[in-house]
Amino acid sequence: MANLSALINRGVSRRRFLAGVGASAGAAAALNLTGCGGSSSTTPTPTPTPTPTAPTDEDVLNFALNLEYLEASFYLYAATGAGLEAADTGPGSASTYKTVGTVSVGDAAQVAGLTPGEQQILNEIAFEEQAHVRFLRSALGSAAVPMPDIDLSFFGPLAVAAGITTAATGSGSFNPFSSFDYFLVGAFIFEDVGVTAYSGAAPLISPAGVTAGYLTAAAGILAVEAYHAGYVRTSLTGRAIAAGSAAAYPYLGAANAVEALRATLTVGASAAPSTSGSVETELTLPTSLTTASSIVAASAADAVGFARTVDQVLHIVYGSVKMGATGGGFFPNGINSVFATTTA
Amino acid sequence: MANQETQLLDDIIATSRRKMLTLGVSSLAGLFAGANSISAKAAAAYTDADILNFALNLEYLEANFYYMATFGTTIDKPNAASMAAGAPAITLSGTVGTAGVVSGGSQVPFTTIQVASYAIETAVEEGKHVQLLLTALGSAAVAQPAINLGTSFQTLATAAKIPGGSGFSPYASDEAFLVGAYVFEDVGVTAYHGAASLLTSASNLTVAAGIMAVEAYHAGLIRTTINYIDPTGANIAGYTNLISALRAELSQAGLLGAAPGPFDTNPDDYGLATFPVSLGGDASTTATRITDADATNLVAFARNTTQVLNIVTGGGAVNGSAAVSPAVGVFFPAGMNAGPNGFK
Repeated sequence: MANLSALINRGVSRRRFLAGVGASAGAAAALNLTGCGGSSSTTPTPTPTPTPTAPTDEDVLNFALNLEYLEASFYLYAATGAGLEAADTGPGSASTYKTVGTVSVGDAAQVAGLTPGEQQILNEIAFEEQAHVRFLRSALGSAAVPMPDIDLSFFGPLAVAAGITTAATGSGSFNPFSSFDYFLVGAFIFEDVGVTAYSGAAPLISPAGVTAGYLTAAAGILAVEAYHAGYVRTSLTGRAIAAGSAAAYPYLGAANAVEALRATLTVGASAAPSTSGSVETELTLPTSLTTASSIVAASAADAVGFARTVDQVLHIVYGSVKMGATGGGFFPNGINSVFATTTA
Repeated sequence: MANQETQLLDDIIATSRRKMLTLGVSSLAGLFAGANSISAKAAAAYTDADILNFALNLEYLEANFYYMATFGTTIDKPNAASMAAGAPAITLSGTVGTAGVVSGGSQVPFTTIQVASYAIETAVEEGKHVQLLLTALGSAAVAQPAINLGTSFQTLATAAKIPGGSGFSPYASDEAFLVGAYVFEDVGVTAYHGAASLLTSASNLTVAAGIMAVEAYHAGLIRTTINYIDPTGANIAGYTNLISALRAELSQAGLLGAAPGPFDTNPDDYGLATFPVSLGGDASTTATRITDADATNLVAFARNTTQVLNIVTGGGAVNGSAAVSPAVGVFFPAGMNAGPNGFK
């Protein structure tokens, strides 16, 4: 609790840090996080299209497809040491985005030291995210956008921003491919976000889209993301209980530090949650037969799962609180979407 | 979350007319073989309140099961254990239909912190779902029907061919409790998924999607824990396959001879079995099913209300090729409660 409180109390300075306001010793990480420095910002990006007031159903599904490209790439590398097949990444014939992105792999490799059972679970999640990519591409047909550039080396800078470690690369840096426990923390970055992204996007689907089955499709993928999130959170909690203390299992605290960072990023440049307050539920360590766990991420009042807006999701995957950010973080050159630019 | 509840209520009142769903082949639904209708009931004059009341019946069942297993009491009779956990004490304010009693069940003598803490969390969350729906529905809320939490499990376990099923009690041990919980959670996901596209109000949809996410977190939690306890499938993980096979059989019968709807297949339920997957083009590996979803697209299943009714009543919703209403049996010995155009 103390660690999280400290992180929350540091929220303002953290936001400034992330936004690159002022020169600081952490400038390197800040630049990586915001994508506003280095060569990546000078790379031509697909021309950002102003967000229309009424996005089409294809826009909504393509936003989801960008996220699935990221998740599938992460899990496939973790499970097999290789990413999506070329056949799963190209543009639809009618897409205005023509360039297939590349994956900067960083430390990405098959997770080290997995038990056969753990490997089986990684295989399942990877298989399902791969299937989601294929499903969305099939549903979108010629409108499907290609995979954007993806940077899997962003885990290091993200962990520094979250306060998990001080080294962004190399020795002492956070590497989700180095062990099953580190993998769980890496997966944790994405899973609750996927759930909230689909919840937030579902109401954007048009009545015609509802009739066409898009809403039911989104709801069904949402459920699968929640199964995955349940797996990751249950595993972190269960392994912490087995270890006996937070000190003996630091991965639980690392996951909560990721949550705190997500919460900071979610509010965006407006520095205040734009919807209904916190959309995070901190993991806890039950210590007796009469204390509750905290597996489910949902509102404390009603136990209803959270939703994030498109913009809130974008701030997280870009690792940036800036308004007008066109890329960064896991997507160094932005996503292939009408929603590519942060708006708050 | 009073604002959310008030908004929900306003929407229910405002949405007295039923949006007509266009039946027919659609682009996305067309991805699924034989998928050409959403629900045989799509033209009926039901409202969002009818759909939410159907959910409320299921939440009464789930919440009472978890309260009984965890605290040794029902949702309306707080005791020291439930109050210490912060579980809501439910005022049974629903009046539509016939109020019944909850019979059977007892507190589980938990021995592991993992399972005990998950049980407490889940009980509290299901209680909040009941509270939310009761508050939102107000005077339109159905009464709590008669619920059997005792012999119902033996009936289902026997039908599922679980070894020693006639003596099965989900209250006997941590492991048995997980099997009992497994009976419910995936069903909740499919019920909310099936209902999502039938809701007419965007805010109702958001809430339903949020509750569905929580049910999927629970389902992921249960499956993950069973997998940790029985990684080889020799014991309780093997039972999940038997239960899923029975649910799939009851669900198929609930189709009344019609083709499965979008996001439904035959079978529409999978336990924790190992299955072959192809990752990045490599077909030589296997995975473990933490997610209950269709084998091709990995989108969670959606069931219509008759399918769900046939599961929770152990076949009571179907007589030959005809629907039976009210469906009676197993967990609902006197059937569910519903308004004039509702589902029971």
